[in-house]
Amino acid sequence: MSRQALVMAIPTFIFGGVLVFFLFWNLIISFQNWSLFNPIPSFVGFETYAYLFTRNFFYASLQHTVIFTLGLIAIGDVLGLLLAALLYFIPSNIQRSIYLSIFIYPLAVPPTASALVWLWLFNPQIGIDWILSSLHLPTIPWLVTPTTTYIALVIVEVWAYTGLAVLFYLAAFLSVDRSVIEAARLDGATGMRLLFRILLPNSMSGFIVATALLFLFSFRIFDIPFIMSGSATSPTLMTLVTYIYYLYAYAENFSAAAALATLVAVIAAAVIIPYALLGLKRWVFRK
Amino acid sequence: MVAIRVENLTKYFRKGKNVIKAVDHVTFRVSDGVAFGILGPSGHGKTTFLRLIAGLEVPTDGYIYFDDELVSAPNRVVVEPERRNVAMVFQNWALYPNMTVYDNIAFPLKMAKMSKHEIDKRVREIAEELELTRVLNHYPKELSGGQQQRTALARALVKNPKVLLLDEPFSNLDAALRDSARALVRRIQRERKLTTIIVSHDPADIFSIADIAGVIINGKFAQVGNPSDIYSKPATTIIAALSGDVNLMSAKVIEENAVIANLKIPLPVSEKEVGDEAIIGIRPDEMKLLIEMAQGIQGFVNVGKVKVKVSSYSLGVFRVVVSPVADESIELVAVSDEPIQPGTEAYLYVRKDRIKVFAKDGRLIA
Amino acid sequence: MNSRYIIKVIKYALLQLVVAIFVVLWLIPLYAMLIGGFKTNMAAASTPIFRPPSQISTEAYYFDWFGFGTLIGLEYPMMRQLLITVPVALTSVILGGMGAYYFYVEMERRPWVSNLGFSIISLAAFLPAQTLTIPIIELTSSLGIYQTYWGLAFAYFVFYLPMSALLMSMFLPVVPKYLLESARLDGARDWATFWHVVFPIVLPGFLSTLIFVFLMVWQDFFIPLIIATKPSLYMLPVAARQYVGGYAILYNRSFAAGVITSAIPLVIFAFLGRYFIRGLAALGGGAKGV
Repeated sequence: MSRQALVMAIPTFIFGGVLVFFLFWNLIISFQNWSLFNPIPSFVGFETYAYLFTRNFFYASLQHTVIFTLGLIAIGDVLGLLLAALLYFIPSNIQRSIYLSIFIYPLAVPPTASALVWLWLFNPQIGIDWILSSLHLPTIPWLVTPTTTYIALVIVEVWAYTGLAVLFYLAAFLSVDRSVIEAARLDGATGMRLLFRILLPNSMSGFIVATALLFLFSFRIFDIPFIMSGSATSPTLMTLVTYIYYLYAYAENFSAAAALATLVAVIAAAVIIPYALLGLKRWVFRK
Repeated sequence: MVAIRVENLTKYFRKGKNVIKAVDHVTFRVSDGVAFGILGPSGHGKTTFLRLIAGLEVPTDGYIYFDDELVSAPNRVVVEPERRNVAMVFQNWALYPNMTVYDNIAFPLKMAKMSKHEIDKRVREIAEELELTRVLNHYPKELSGGQQQRTALARALVKNPKVLLLDEPFSNLDAALRDSARALVRRIQRERKLTTIIVSHDPADIFSIADIAGVIINGKFAQVGNPSDIYSKPATTIIAALSGDVNLMSAKVIEENAVIANLKIPLPVSEKEVGDEAIIGIRPDEMKLLIEMAQGIQGFVNVGKVKVKVSSYSLGVFRVVVSPVADESIELVAVSDEPIQPGTEAYLYVRKDRIKVFAKDGRLIA
Repeated sequence: MNSRYIIKVIKYALLQLVVAIFVVLWLIPLYAMLIGGFKTNMAAASTPIFRPPSQISTEAYYFDWFGFGTLIGLEYPMMRQLLITVPVALTSVILGGMGAYYFYVEMERRPWVSNLGFSIISLAAFLPAQTLTIPIIELTSSLGIYQTYWGLAFAYFVFYLPMSALLMSMFLPVVPKYLLESARLDGARDWATFWHVVFPIVLPGFLSTLIFVFLMVWQDFFIPLIIATKPSLYMLPVAARQYVGGYAILYNRSFAAGVITSAIPLVIFAFLGRYFIRGLAALGGGAKGV
């Protein structure tokens, strides 16, 4: 049966295919020793990977990625849940939408701009520390020590991505049947009790989506650590993905970059594919 | 106008490990210009049969012919739905919500690349015939149920289809509108001599429109024939129940009568053919309730005394639930000209020629 | 006065207060960016970020827009950004929508193919672009489109066309299958069905996808970083990076650069934010009701 739909879908197939092709190409390069010093690459098996595992930067970037990702998931989930609960109880729909928009707007702001602003906000004289000292609170040496630098980036991530969690928890709350809420209200449940007994147990879907997306957005965050670390030159903020760029642009060790890229792709795919097949596809194809 | 021939048509669906036989080796023929009704419970294959004819489903096995042209073969749709010139009215009418009534009706003509002038002529013609002229500029959501249905019908007819398929076309209408809707469809079908298949679980739809009817159970035709034959001589108790309201009662056979509590119903056939036990089927409209014994009503026989339990009203008649005075646990539904107070005792008269005798397994004996 | 009523009022006030606190926190960077950009150089050199400007000046904007010395002004990058983002977003969403339509009508019968397709478009939507750095650069070089607008567009399409297909897949089920069947019986083939029946019904979803993809392409920093590296080709996010800070950059210039970069997205978000949020929600599987 010839379907025009097939023809219409060709561009999608092409670029989807290109993506897969690129992933395999990456894989092949990772098994070579291509770099600035080896402009004509040869096959070396897992040597490049072994090399990668000896680099300090690899472990540093891995550690940082873990910190930032777990930090965002932990704080984002809890804060997102809290804010969603607060928003749920706001009676005015308009007010609720406006507030929700305010938590989400950071996603619409180009991360370049965010990085520019936050760098200045973390300035010890005139930024956030200025407010702290005006209130006679101790100032924090942002971006000076590794610990405070991690905290700084996590703060930026939380500001940027908690809105996701708020959105999905709120959606989960709002999807609880009205009649269930009303029955609970008639039974005398309000506020906290309503939250814990009725809303929370029904927001498993919100938890799964929020956590998955927080993980994915945090895992792939590039622009902000890149810019805040002076274009990947400072190792404190190096994450797995900025390290890929570093390997490509500064170390010019292309095979190593490809090897790391393959590892990152595998980790990401391990979350994306189950999420897509179990979470998203079910929604599309259910009758 | 086309004759539809179906040979060994089969459609299986796979759901996990289960195989559902929606249509099971059906061979059949609908002659040119005939209205064929398919009656059956939900989920037994009626809609699947229709969709196979439309080409929306691919047969697992079997062949479908329009006149002598092969249109569907095993695992193959030979002629695609777009090119079969088949019109289908879906259960929920499937009107395009973003188009006006005019555009909805014009859509098939537009797809056939007809000239604007010709499209306009045809749309207005059919709109007038179906009394839609006033709402041509409205959107489906602004219309009443009856108007939506007529729009769906207009869209189906405007392209002069070879075959008209109707899938439970009246179930979304208010009961009060259904009769006029049925009459409309029948008139259109007769006037145009349009080969039609109508599918429904409501026997009233079939009786009002179909020339021939078939009852589908588990993917097979359990009985095919004149609708009134199916009504008066259903082949099984299930078919009896599907083709209309019916009272089915277990009875003991004693001396040429079927006995149900105090009711004695004369058997139309000899006791020997029936056995010891039987199931008696009588429809509410085949009974009468009289408070005083009458001398003798032509064609009816008095079977005994009953007591009225509940009296209600539906679609112009009084439905009365009665019980034999000897056993109040047995309930029969009868029809009456006037409301009768619960508690009243009356005599039950039954049409002699409509007493249906079924064996214990449900098959018709007489 | 009824004590229960008083408690209710207090609870309500508390709720509003707590939410308001968070709202203010969230708005701080926006506030800083907006007022900072309008400060004079002197004010930027001497006042803390949070103090509103005593006089409004556009000298930072002027500086950023036209650049200075080796600092590329943002005028041309901005125009390039608009020139590329609009067609790329529009094309992605239309073509991706057609891909989603194909999934919707064809894929029930072949589950493993639809699983594969769905996995691929999800990968494209969520995979960090950095993982494909080298293949992208290599391919665009071999095709001769490295350092060109076509190369940029190609790289964008690799990620954003499948992402558009993913999002449109989430919105398409709003069109009931029986409408598509009705159209087939009315003689409509896929192209006609898509434009006459599907598109008008799924228009809100289309807009949500379009706005979401537009904003994502606009803020994409990495793809221009690796493909349009020549200063004459700088796209907006890359050009804006020059104004980070350090020597000769006062914060009013950084913030002005931030505003220039964010102006269009924020305006779109302000007026069409509803669509952006729905597009975002679609990534989470619909999130209806919000």
